[in-house]
Amino acid sequence: MDAISDNVFNDLDTVETVSDDPSLLTVILDISPGSWFQLRDQISIVEVTKSLLVFLNAHLSLNNSNQVAFIVSSPVGSKFLYPSPVHGTEEQRNKPTLITMNMYRQFRVVDEAVLQDLNTELEQIRNNKKSYSAVSTLAGALSMALTYTHRMLTLDQSIRTTTQSAINNTTNSQHHHNSGGTGNSNGSGHSSQLSSTNVKSRILVVSADDTDDLKYIPIMNSIFAAQKIKTSIDVAKLGAKNSSYLQQASDATNGVYLKIEDPKGLIQVLSSAFFIEPSVRPLFILPTNSNVNYRASCFVTGKSVDLGYVCSICLCIMSLIPTDGKCPTCDSNFDARIIAQLKRAPAVVPKKRRKVVSTAPPITP
Amino acid sequence: MARDDSDEEYVAPGSPGELSDDKKELSDSDNNQEEEDEDLQDEDNDEDDDDEIVIAKRTRAKSKATTAISDLRGANGYSWEDEYQRSWDVVKDNEGQSLESIIQSMIEARKKKIMKNSSGSFQRGIIRTLIVIVDGSQTMLEKDLRPTRFLMTLTYLVDFIVEFFDQNPISQMGIVLMRNGVATLISEVSSSPQYHLDNIRHVKARQHNKFEPKGDPSLQNSLEMARSLLMYNFGNNSTTNNNGGESSKNSKEILILFGALFTSDPGDIHHTINNLIKDDIKVKIIGLSAQVAICQEIVRRTNKLTSDTSSCYGVIMNEQHYKELLLDCVIPLPITIEESLKQVKQNRGVALIKMGFPSKIQLTTNRTSLDWPQLCACHPTQGSEGSKNNLLINDNPGKSLVDGGGGNGGGGSIGGGSNGNGINPYIGYQCPQCSAKVCHLPTICPICGLMLILSTHLARSYHHLVPLAAYKEVPIAKSYKSKYCYGCLLLFPNGIDDLESIDKLLNRTSSRYRCPKCSNDFCIDCDVFVHETLHNCPGCDSM
Repeated sequence: MDAISDNVFNDLDTVETVSDDPSLLTVILDISPGSWFQLRDQISIVEVTKSLLVFLNAHLSLNNSNQVAFIVSSPVGSKFLYPSPVHGTEEQRNKPTLITMNMYRQFRVVDEAVLQDLNTELEQIRNNKKSYSAVSTLAGALSMALTYTHRMLTLDQSIRTTTQSAINNTTNSQHHHNSGGTGNSNGSGHSSQLSSTNVKSRILVVSADDTDDLKYIPIMNSIFAAQKIKTSIDVAKLGAKNSSYLQQASDATNGVYLKIEDPKGLIQVLSSAFFIEPSVRPLFILPTNSNVNYRASCFVTGKSVDLGYVCSICLCIMSLIPTDGKCPTCDSNFDARIIAQLKRAPAVVPKKRRKVVSTAPPITP
Repeated sequence: MARDDSDEEYVAPGSPGELSDDKKELSDSDNNQEEEDEDLQDEDNDEDDDDEIVIAKRTRAKSKATTAISDLRGANGYSWEDEYQRSWDVVKDNEGQSLESIIQSMIEARKKKIMKNSSGSFQRGIIRTLIVIVDGSQTMLEKDLRPTRFLMTLTYLVDFIVEFFDQNPISQMGIVLMRNGVATLISEVSSSPQYHLDNIRHVKARQHNKFEPKGDPSLQNSLEMARSLLMYNFGNNSTTNNNGGESSKNSKEILILFGALFTSDPGDIHHTINNLIKDDIKVKIIGLSAQVAICQEIVRRTNKLTSDTSSCYGVIMNEQHYKELLLDCVIPLPITIEESLKQVKQNRGVALIKMGFPSKIQLTTNRTSLDWPQLCACHPTQGSEGSKNNLLINDNPGKSLVDGGGGNGGGGSIGGGSNGNGINPYIGYQCPQCSAKVCHLPTICPICGLMLILSTHLARSYHHLVPLAAYKEVPIAKSYKSKYCYGCLLLFPNGIDDLESIDKLLNRTSSRYRCPKCSNDFCIDCDVFVHETLHNCPGCDSM
């Protein structure tokens, strides 16, 4: 009997701990004006924002300790809209709000911050000449999302200042907190339980950018960092073309990539395909596009390469051997003998290699 | 110990002049360890100018030689001389001040950790082939490292593998066990971290019947095996002309984790050393007990060092030091001055490597035509006698639970999109040159010998070539421009009004670390994260 009842309680316990994991959702909205202008017949930023706010609110309502963040990326720069560091000051609070006061408080705080700051941001874009040069800052926005995620994953959420975080870290690293000490002792004791909570996190990128002018290396670095902290990058791509970098981002981080054909139905996609919590992701077959183009692009011609040459110093990819025998990026001279070898008729090289392979098996035991 | 000594002498006659060196060696070994202790402290300087440091070290060694024994007592770092550490004593419960100083020291320590990692951008032979030789002789059963030297070595090796493939994604590794007088191949040369981790686990699991430390080590046997492995699993078209010049694109390295103080070899080890030099293979050794003359000679000759071998031959002082020495081997070797001079002299440039970027093929059922399962070309030995062990391990369902993190960090999982498991049975890649199918990347096409990689593998190395500038600490002031961390929005403390009290509170900081390029301020946590994991400045990229 004991065994039976024990089992029941144990089972209940594990189920509860799994479902109670709070999760952090970071939304990155790319508002580069050019791409949205292309889409003007289908959808406007206002409608997308509405859908995203509903999405954020839905995420908040799933779990009391769920967190959201909203980052906007524009040619002017990337910026946190929520949580807003300047928000909550008296001046801000007294402003007339765009949201009705009767809304559930958490929803209202988020919606207010996002809408207000988005307006000022759009205002800035209009006044800024730089926005026409249209350099995507999505890599920066991703980096910011990752640093924020990292903080949320490692630190207690109640910590707001660096001093607190340092104290928290010491107490954790020493496995000891000063019980007779200051008023912090309570907080740190609390945090040592919380600081390694199983906060799950994911990032949703909403982009309509078709120009594919993303900076390759920063995006790749972000992808690897996201892999390391086990954060999925979901991508909702509007517009006409697929973005191969974003495809790689979601594929490598076990995220969902969807190119949304009909932007009017965005809210439906958001609340279904993109609403899969990170904790249940292993149980789902993700509705993602798996045909990812991992092909590299040539640094010289910009075309995609499947058989190329790589400089051993800077690892830059070339689709053809440069005529001057110099690396186009790091300017080092290539070995003339190796170039001559590579330039030989293609039939010769595989033959030699085959010889090597055929002698290999007897040696490996 | 008596047995060990006699065995060492058994080797010694093989080399002229070694006998006389031997005694000096014994007394010197302590000195060298002490030197390393200091090396740890000024590690950050180590990479700027080699010449200066070499001279500095030499003078330091000389001055120490006279007072070696008296100094030893005061030297910390030897685990057997350490006092019993009581971690709770570190916290002094006097005043608020002490707590602050602890925080300060902690911040400093973390800062140092970043500084160690950041280095100038110099040429590296990025594509490495490394053979790790693990000592599996009787001496590895010693319990000076807990639980035994051998088990601790294996534990650290797991970390090393993960870290190695993380930092060197298009590199390859193989593992050889030196046991009972012969060399045993533990893990073939492969670029899949998962494969090596499985094999290490396999060795760990078979501690009582097949792989327990036993017998004498044989440096010669294992070096010869490593050499043949390196010669056959080596880059692209290098086997066609392996007489020098290849080193710039593909470095061949051996790392020996050596617990014994002797080696019993079937032949003349100096022949082996000559062969290693001829094949341009560099050997690094980490000794677990003391310096051994023959090891020093191997290291000195293969790395073409003149006298100071401390950069390639380390002897551990304690467990922490062991780990540090091991993880130092993760960083790609800089191309030595001598080599670059040679290149200039021979008017030879750097190598250009032909690589294939294969396309992914995936079993799909939603198309009109059903794809049939296909065999991959890279596992021709599947089902044969030698691969049975691996198959057994792969069947173990608990495996992915144990090392989900390890596999994720490694290069193997990126293309598969699978969690932890390096090889995904549903995804294959097709060689663009010969259309052979392989099941994991990066690899060398088994049919045509083309190096097959994903562009993301290359991208993983780019941060080595364009290192992110270190953030500078903002000096203490009355007020600051920034109120919160740019990366994570953590609020910074306010400026200090009473600037005169700074002398008293030496340990106060501004908690702000500023990027020299975009002049945004970051907190220490973001600083560490950005430099160790992200390699992107969030500020610079969002401008």
